[in-house]
This record gives sequence, C-alpha cells and structure tokens, in this order.
Amino acid sequence: MLRYLARRLAQAAVIVAIVAAITFTLIHLAPGDPFSAVLDNPNVTEKVRQTLRAQYGLDRPLPEQFVKYVGSLARGNLGWSFSHERSVSEVLATALPNTLLLMGVALFGSFALGILVALVQVARRGSITDKALSGVSLFFFSMPDFWLALLALLAFTYWLPIFPVGGAFDPVMHEYMGWGARVVDRLKHLALPALTLTLLAAASVARYQRAALLDVLPADYIRTARLKGLTERQILRRHALRNALLPIITLIGLSFPALLTGAFFVEKIFAWPGMGLAVVEAIGTRDYPLVVGGVIIASIMVTLGSLLADLLYAWADPRLREQ
Amino acid sequence: MAAMRHAGLLCALLLCACTGTESSGKGSGGTLVISTGGDPDNVIPALVQSIQGAQVIDMVYDRLADIGDSLNTLGDKGFTPRLADRWTWAKDSLSIAFHINPNAKWHDGVPVRSTDVRFTVASTKDSTLGSPTAPVIASVDSVSTPDSATAVFWFHARNPQQFYDAVYQLPIMPEHIWKSIPPSSWRASDAARHPIGSGPYRFVRWIPRTALELAADTANYRGRPRLNRLIWVFSPEFNTAVTKFLGGEADFFEQLRPENLPEVAKHPELRTEQYHSLAYQFALMNLRDPANNARPHPIFGNRELRRALTMAVDRPALVRSVFDTLALPALGPTVRSYPTTDPNLPQIPFDTTRSRQILDSLGWRVGSDGIRSRNGRPLRFTLSIPGTSKARLQIGVLMQEQLRRVGAKVDIEQLDFPVLMEKDRKRAFDMVLGQWNTQPSPGAVRGSWGTAGSRATSGNNYGSYENPVFDARIDSALAAYDLATRKTLFTRAYETIIQDAPAIWLAEPLTTVGYHSRLQLGTLRPDAWWAHIPEWWIPADKRIPRDNAPALSQRAAADSSAAPAGQKTR
Repeated sequence: MLRYLARRLAQAAVIVAIVAAITFTLIHLAPGDPFSAVLDNPNVTEKVRQTLRAQYGLDRPLPEQFVKYVGSLARGNLGWSFSHERSVSEVLATALPNTLLLMGVALFGSFALGILVALVQVARRGSITDKALSGVSLFFFSMPDFWLALLALLAFTYWLPIFPVGGAFDPVMHEYMGWGARVVDRLKHLALPALTLTLLAAASVARYQRAALLDVLPADYIRTARLKGLTERQILRRHALRNALLPIITLIGLSFPALLTGAFFVEKIFAWPGMGLAVVEAIGTRDYPLVVGGVIIASIMVTLGSLLADLLYAWADPRLREQ
Repeated sequence: MAAMRHAGLLCALLLCACTGTESSGKGSGGTLVISTGGDPDNVIPALVQSIQGAQVIDMVYDRLADIGDSLNTLGDKGFTPRLADRWTWAKDSLSIAFHINPNAKWHDGVPVRSTDVRFTVASTKDSTLGSPTAPVIASVDSVSTPDSATAVFWFHARNPQQFYDAVYQLPIMPEHIWKSIPPSSWRASDAARHPIGSGPYRFVRWIPRTALELAADTANYRGRPRLNRLIWVFSPEFNTAVTKFLGGEADFFEQLRPENLPEVAKHPELRTEQYHSLAYQFALMNLRDPANNARPHPIFGNRELRRALTMAVDRPALVRSVFDTLALPALGPTVRSYPTTDPNLPQIPFDTTRSRQILDSLGWRVGSDGIRSRNGRPLRFTLSIPGTSKARLQIGVLMQEQLRRVGAKVDIEQLDFPVLMEKDRKRAFDMVLGQWNTQPSPGAVRGSWGTAGSRATSGNNYGSYENPVFDARIDSALAAYDLATRKTLFTRAYETIIQDAPAIWLAEPLTTVGYHSRLQLGTLRPDAWWAHIPEWWIPADKRIPRDNAPALSQRAAADSSAAPAGQKTR
C-alpha cells in the first residue's frame, strides 16, 4: 500500500511540474503583460511601464525568466503577485482556506443531498415524486452557475433580505461581536454560496446515483435480500447503495477540480475571497506568478482528489483492494 | 474574560460618545461604509495607480497644499494650506519655500519635518522606484531644507503650473519610516501594508479582498475629522457591490449606472448626486497602417474620410441611448471641468447627407451589399473594445449601425484589457474605443495627442495623430500665465484637433454617486469625490448601530484601560 502511495505521489509530482511549465509558458506568451494595463491615465508613460517590467525581471528572455522561477520554486518561493502586491504564498494562503471551506461544505452537501434524492426517487420509482424530483434535478443540472448565483443573491439578500450580500464575514461589525455571533456571522455569509454550489452539484449526483441504483436493483443479491424478507428501505440502504457508490466515487474525484475552478462565478458574485476568483482575476491582469502558483496548488489538489477517489474505490470494492 | 471585554467595549462606546459631542456643533462620530469593486493596488503615495488606493492615500497622507474646488492649476490661486501653513515665492519664481505647520505630526507621534518633503521628492524621482508620478514632476529639480520647518522647491524653469506640480502630485511620506528601505523593495515592505501618514485618518487594517478600515486621527493638527470610521468593502462583481449599497450594508456607492437609478429611487433613505468627472471617451482612429507603421492607414490616413465618418455618427443620440442623462457628448480631448475648456467648442456636425457626399467625392462607391469600396478595397475596419466595459460595447454596436448607413462596415472585436493595451502600444489596430482619465491639469493632452507622444516609442499617442499647429497651440496654452489667454489658446488648439478628426469624440461621463440620506456630504470634486470626506458628518439622531461602534484602535485602548494591571485582555 505504501509503495502504491509513493508511486502515485511521484506521478503526481511529475504531472504538477509539467502543468506548471506549460502554464508558465502559455501565460507569458499571451498578449499583454502586468503593466500594459496600467492604466487609462495619460500620465503613465511607457517609460514608467518599462521600468516596472525591468524591476520584476519581465524584460529578460523567457527561458531566463523560467530558470529563475524554477530556482525560486525550488526554494519554496512561489514569487510575488503584481496585482496583490504581496507574496503569492500569502495570497494563496488566505484564499485557499476559504475555497476549501466552501468546497468542503458544497461537496459534502451536494453528495449528501444528491444521494438522498436518488434514494427517494428509486424508492418511489415511477411515482409523481420520482418524476418531480427528476425534473427539479434536470432544472438545476442545466442551470448556469452564475445565473443561479445572481438569482440567489437578489432573492435572499435584496427581495427577502435574510442573508448578507457577500464576503466571508461582516467586515464592519464582526470584530464587535461575541464568539457565538461571529460563528453565526460566518455561517450566514457561507450559506448562499454553499447552497448555490450544493444545488448545482447535487443535481448531477442525484442523476448519476439514481441511474447507478437502478442498475444494481435487478442483481441476484438484491433478489436474495428481498427473499430474506428485508424491507425495500433496508435493501436500498444496506445492499444497493454501497454497490451503487462506485460511479459516485469517480464523481467525487472529478468534482474536486470542477468545484475548484467552477466556483469562480459563485466566488465572484458572492465576493467570496477564494482561490478560483484570485486565479481567474490574475489571468486577466497577467499576474504571472499568481497564475502559475494557483495552477500548481490546483493541480496538486486535483491529483490528490484523484488519489483520494482511488483509495475510496479500494475501500468500497474489496476486489480492487486485493489487486 | 468576556465580561471584561464587554466592559472595555462599553468604555469605548462611552468614550466615543463623549468625544463625539464636544468637538463641534454638528458632532463627530459615525461610520462611512463605501462599497467598491476591488482592493487598492497599493497604498504607497509614489506608486499608487488605482482609484481605491488614491482614496485611502488622500485620507492617510497630506499634501503641502490642497488644490481647492476650483481646480485651478495656475500659480497658487485657490490652493489652501495643508502640511505647509504658508509659502513664499522667490523673486525669479525658480523656487518656492514651504513652511511646515509646526503642529503637524505623523500618526506615530514624530513631528513632520522639511526633510520628509525632500525625501518624498527625491525618492519619487528615483528611477529604481519606477514611480508613475516621476514624469509629472519633471519640472521640479530638487528640494533643499534650510531648516527643519522649511522645504524649498527648486524648479528647472518657471512655468505656470509649477506650484501645482509641486503639491498636487506629492502626498508627503515620512522619511523615518521609508528611509531604510531600498526603493525597489517598497512594495514588499511591511511599511507598505501599515501606512503611517499625517492626514485626517489613521490606517487601521486591510483584509485583502474583503475590506480596508481607517479611523479618525483625533489628535490631528488640522482638527479631527467628523466621521469616526471609514471602511471600504470590496466586491469584484458590480451587481454585488451595488446590492450592498441598495440593501443597506454600505452607505456610499461611487459609480451608479443608469439601470440602477430606478431601483435607488424605490428607497426613500437613499440619495443620488451627480458630478462632472475628468474622463472622456472616444473612438480613436489609427492614422498609421497597422501592418506597416511607416505608411499611412489605408482608410484613416485621409483627413476628409475621418471627418465624413465623424459626421455619420449622431453623438448626442448615442450618448443618450447608452448613458441616459449620465453623460454628455464629449467636446474633444478635454473635459468641461477644466476652467480652460470652452463648453461651446465648435464640432463637426452630424450630417449623413454630407458624409455620403464626401465619401462619394473621395471615390468610395457603394456596392451591391451597401458597403463602399475604392480600387477594390472595401470601406471596412475593425473596432476594438475592452470586453469588460458594457457601456463601450453598447456604444460600439450603435456606432456600427450608424456607420453602416453611410456604407462603412465595422467589425467589432471585444478584447481582454491587457490585449487591447498591447494592440494600442504596438499601434496594431484600426479603431479603438478608448478613455482617458485625466488630472486637473489639461497638460496631459500633449502626450496623448501631440507629435511627441506619437513619435516616441514610449508615447501615449497611439493613434499617431500629428499636427505641428496643434502642438504649437498646446505649447502656447500651457505656457500662458493668464487664465483668459490660456483658455483662448486651448480653444484654438482643440478646434484644430476637432477639425482634423483623429478620433470621434464620444462621451464625457457624469459620475452619479449614491449615498444614505443620514450622511451629510460636502462638495464632490471632479478629480476626487472623496476630497471633503473629513468634513462629512452624520447627525447624532440619525445614527445606526454601526455608527456607534468605536474604531478598533479606540476599542483596544478602552480594553486595556479596563483590564487590571498586568493582565492582557486579548
């Protein structure tokens, strides 16, 4: 097992290095640079921009910049973010916990909700409830994330103002709150972005899980369970669900990168200071070090997500464990 | 422990209430929450570029003198004392001696000295810093300090704007904080994150991508500002930022769009106010061939053709459609807020009949598809637009339709802002929808529309418009010491460029701010709406809970005074 883990981690390191190199090259080859967009102020001359480029070594040939970057990376330095005026590590260190919190809640919520909906649908397959839930799932499945986010923002912060408009907490009064109120404040700010991501992801989980459950229901061991006199609920929970979880585990592995990058619109609309937003904005401002640093972190998370999915597979399927 | 903290908070609230009622008839206190789009790029006066950064800097730092609401840039008329309580001109006008207010102190308690002024100028001009302000203060040679209270600015030559150059561009920085840091490391320094100034507000905290907070400097040498706390809250999405304002989480929103106004009107507690900004928008034509800059552009190289295209665009209707009442048709490469701008500058009229006649006379014949061509070349070009600007996209679509009516085919190309700037820089475009955000001085027109700005590889005249008559008239205007003469000369220069039509002058946006009615605002200045924030106030009977929260620094002081000796509260 340990050897397997070591081999997978070594593969992950190679993948991350290749992804970082490709990203570094592509973002530097894109037109514009961090200082070409400075600014629509006629007083900012090209000479000033050139000085700034030289200050950050952007006037050097690309291979030289790459070697320097790899050198600093080897020392654990992800570089300096031009747009945030702080180190990339610091920017990502503040953004990553927010993203992980949002992703974690959304991932857990979407899988719990999706599986629950699928169980209800399969238990009442063919009924109006099944059809209605299929319709609702399809509705959220096909809905663009930014649209649902905007709708949720308007509905629950403006028309029916029960949640705060955006951010991870109330920067105006948070410091004056007691401990309990601070937790409530954090949860209230988390609610809408998490709910939006949860609804979007739960829809696809429910559809996959329903199909997987329907696949295993005709199996011999389910028939045996019925013959033993188990109730339909017991059959679904104890026998069908575990065997129908394998495609969902694959989905968990795939959801990691999707939530990480797909959360961009949700983060933007709810002003959630996470990683997706930081990296996508960095692409727009040609903040090279932040883009590459963000991609490195994201690719590490993706490879870890994939590894986690494989381990879960092994847990769920004894045949794989033996292999 | 919790009780101790609450006792501390109570003390702070009482302290706040006491200080709040004694300092003036209108009272001090209250919190201003400003909803805005993004974080400042930095809060270093010599390096700042973003509008949010400028707002923070203007509250934390002081200049030697303030330009005043008239935005006069000639001599020192209208300027009011700030760090300098008085100044003396040398007889030959080659130097100005500023006397530092003896009561002025940095927020850490160190007195402000003339050496701080010398340090600010020297470091801004230091090429290793890469300050965007450096080229603008090129007329300042150096600063000498005959004594600790006198800073003498020396100029290369006398010019009508030398006082403006010396004071407007340079918030004074504390030498004792920055001296030990090499200029190339300023951005990365701790001092850059915790600015110490001498202005009306002290820096409290900056939570990246969330908020930035300032607190009133209650012991400020110019008297304490009225509002207790200023907090900028950041939302990268426009709709989120405006919803914060509409929903009451913020008190002030600095740039409402026309579609927001009906929603604001539904809230009796909200108000709006308009002011002229210093920005103007235009459709810039490239006068050089993008494929080979040595040649004239095959379409826009011809002055008469440019005039014909300008005549085809109904600018007032276009501005009304896109901005409703929130913009005026642009007059030229200038704005109405300048005292040197004649608001009745003659324009190329909207006249599609005349436009078609000119195009016919130039040999551009209408083909079967309605598009004109000459010698096999269609009258077709690309209009580049920054993808992030909804208003400019709307303008582009309307222009496309209006130009189609006279037989010109416009292909719209939406680009990422850095890509667009790169195309501008390389002169690799046909027509681009641009905007210049200017400063109180009209002098920047020389770089953005003059020959020098066209020929220098580092110039900002991306359209490569060159006319020695225009150059000469601008130079004469900038050299004039008398406002009336200056206005006459600028008018002549603008008339020249308007008739040459290197761009279609589109819109001069009016900025509409939204604010909560409990706020009592002062004048909103075109260059900086925030200039009078220290005088804004909130009547005591209209305050809401967040107005009564003390600044974090006051709270910390109250906490420690409530704690028994030797015990830490937090």
